[in-house]
Amino acid sequence: MSKIGFISATRISVIAGHTFTQLVRMKVFYFLVVFAVIVLGSQFVDMSTLGAVTAVEQNLRVMKGAGFFAMNMFSVILALSATALLLPKDIEDRTLYTILCKPVPRLDYLIGKLLGVISLVTVGLLVMDGLFCLILNIRVEAMVAEQADLLTRMGRSVEVIETHAAAIRDQGVTWSLQAGVIAVLLKAIVVASIALLVSTFSTSTIFTIIITVVVVLIGLIQAEARDYFLQQQSLGMSSPMLEMTRWVSLLFPDFKLLGIEDGVINGERVSLSLLGRVSLAGVLYAAIYTVLSWFVFRRKEL
Amino acid sequence: MTGKGVAAVEIVDLVKEYPSSFRRKMFRAVDEVSLRIEPGEVYGLIGPNGSGKSTTMKALLGLVAPTSGLCKVFGCDSMKVDARQHVGFLPENPYFYKHQTAEETLKFYGRLCGMRGKQLAMRIDALIELVSLQDARKRRLGGYSKGMLQRVGLAQAMIQEPQLLVLDEPTAGVDPVGSRQIRDLIFQLKEQGVTVFLCSHLLEQVQEVCDKVGIIFNGKMVQQGSLSELTSVDSHTEILVEDMDEVTLEKVREVIEQGGGELLASGAPRRSLENLFIEIANQCGEEAR
Repeated sequence: MSKIGFISATRISVIAGHTFTQLVRMKVFYFLVVFAVIVLGSQFVDMSTLGAVTAVEQNLRVMKGAGFFAMNMFSVILALSATALLLPKDIEDRTLYTILCKPVPRLDYLIGKLLGVISLVTVGLLVMDGLFCLILNIRVEAMVAEQADLLTRMGRSVEVIETHAAAIRDQGVTWSLQAGVIAVLLKAIVVASIALLVSTFSTSTIFTIIITVVVVLIGLIQAEARDYFLQQQSLGMSSPMLEMTRWVSLLFPDFKLLGIEDGVINGERVSLSLLGRVSLAGVLYAAIYTVLSWFVFRRKEL
Repeated sequence: MTGKGVAAVEIVDLVKEYPSSFRRKMFRAVDEVSLRIEPGEVYGLIGPNGSGKSTTMKALLGLVAPTSGLCKVFGCDSMKVDARQHVGFLPENPYFYKHQTAEETLKFYGRLCGMRGKQLAMRIDALIELVSLQDARKRRLGGYSKGMLQRVGLAQAMIQEPQLLVLDEPTAGVDPVGSRQIRDLIFQLKEQGVTVFLCSHLLEQVQEVCDKVGIIFNGKMVQQGSLSELTSVDSHTEILVEDMDEVTLEKVREVIEQGGGELLASGAPRRSLENLFIEIANQCGEEAR
């Protein structure tokens, strides 16, 4: 009897491809229509643009904020619901029996499912990003033309007009904006891997969703909580909560580490090294949760 | 593939316990079950609901870990993935991904087994024909009947031409004609040297196809052996005669009594309801053609 490899890229790709098709046929991409409505709607938010670059930038910030909020929300919801749905459904429908009775190691199955969800979120984000960049670019160019016209009429020099235009374009489609989208994807990947871990021991989709949401919420606020208790300590007020937040940081992901969109919305540039660190943190979190999922799932009684 | 003298299936003192609701006491679903199936044999495991048939099968497929004892498939520990290379499994009332067609389903399972390209396409064509789903091969499984799903299940179990086929209630939900087809298929597989391990409630069907039978009750193997060993009544002799009149029958009775025996019953043998149904279905089919 020949040996089956511990892990196989081919088997993983078969399961990932199948998961992607399964989710696409569940018509999950309909949410893109809602996203388009939000992004198009944010265009109509108009603050006073009476020659002030700050007001123009503020308009673009609102637009970028709405875009990132929608991208974050849809990618996290998609990653969470798709992952939470898949494993319990396979167990309930007994399709898992027929898969695991083939020469498929359980790790391949888990990674395949996770990659299928990640592919879906990536495609969804690419479409959202494309649409967002297109609309943002149209808006930026319209603002640049409008401001140039206004400043020309005010008799400002070409240099001043060009400086104005560059400042507005800095708030538009930039590489830093794409880095922000990558951070959104990384957050969705971490959420999917948490949902995968929870679904290996949960018995229902709803339980998986609730527990994952709780973990994500803790992950979102833990940095603030830690900072607060550290501040208390520096003021001489010792609290057992500080020790607790240290334990929490070991068990739960710190989503603040992955959050670079706020800077991007404010027009800050994201350096390559920062993007590398954020990517490393995201991939590391996802890898840890996937390995933990495998530990739980490898001996799970079906 | 298999060494000489290696059993297709070997289960030794298998015990499987599950925690009960309050986790104080363990519930023993399978209690020291042992069985051995030689390559090419058809083994039927029968027993009432909840007797431990499916759990035994799951342990053999590595879906549950034995509490104690061992399960081997062609000499390989069933908990190892390698043991499943030559195994096909049809679960009871199988469900598949509703979004897929029969063809896509078989392609998916075939690719999981490492099959590719022309080899896989040819195997899918052959299996779809074998389970008579040619007209429905491009339809999504969401619209399939229970019997059709069972046939898809059987086809996926056979996709990689396994040497051992594990069938849990293979004819559940299948009409008598389909049920007969499955029976014929098991005979065909047996001729090809495939080992079949099945469990069923349909005792008549088990009797028809199995070489060996095991009877499991409350998790314990109560009896097992070859069909002839288990079903023959040693003190009785059966004679089947064609075209005999009453006078001759009386003479036969006298001869039996002279020899110290007793004629217990005589009369026209009855065909089974299944045979009658198949006969009528075939007739109707021919008339329709």
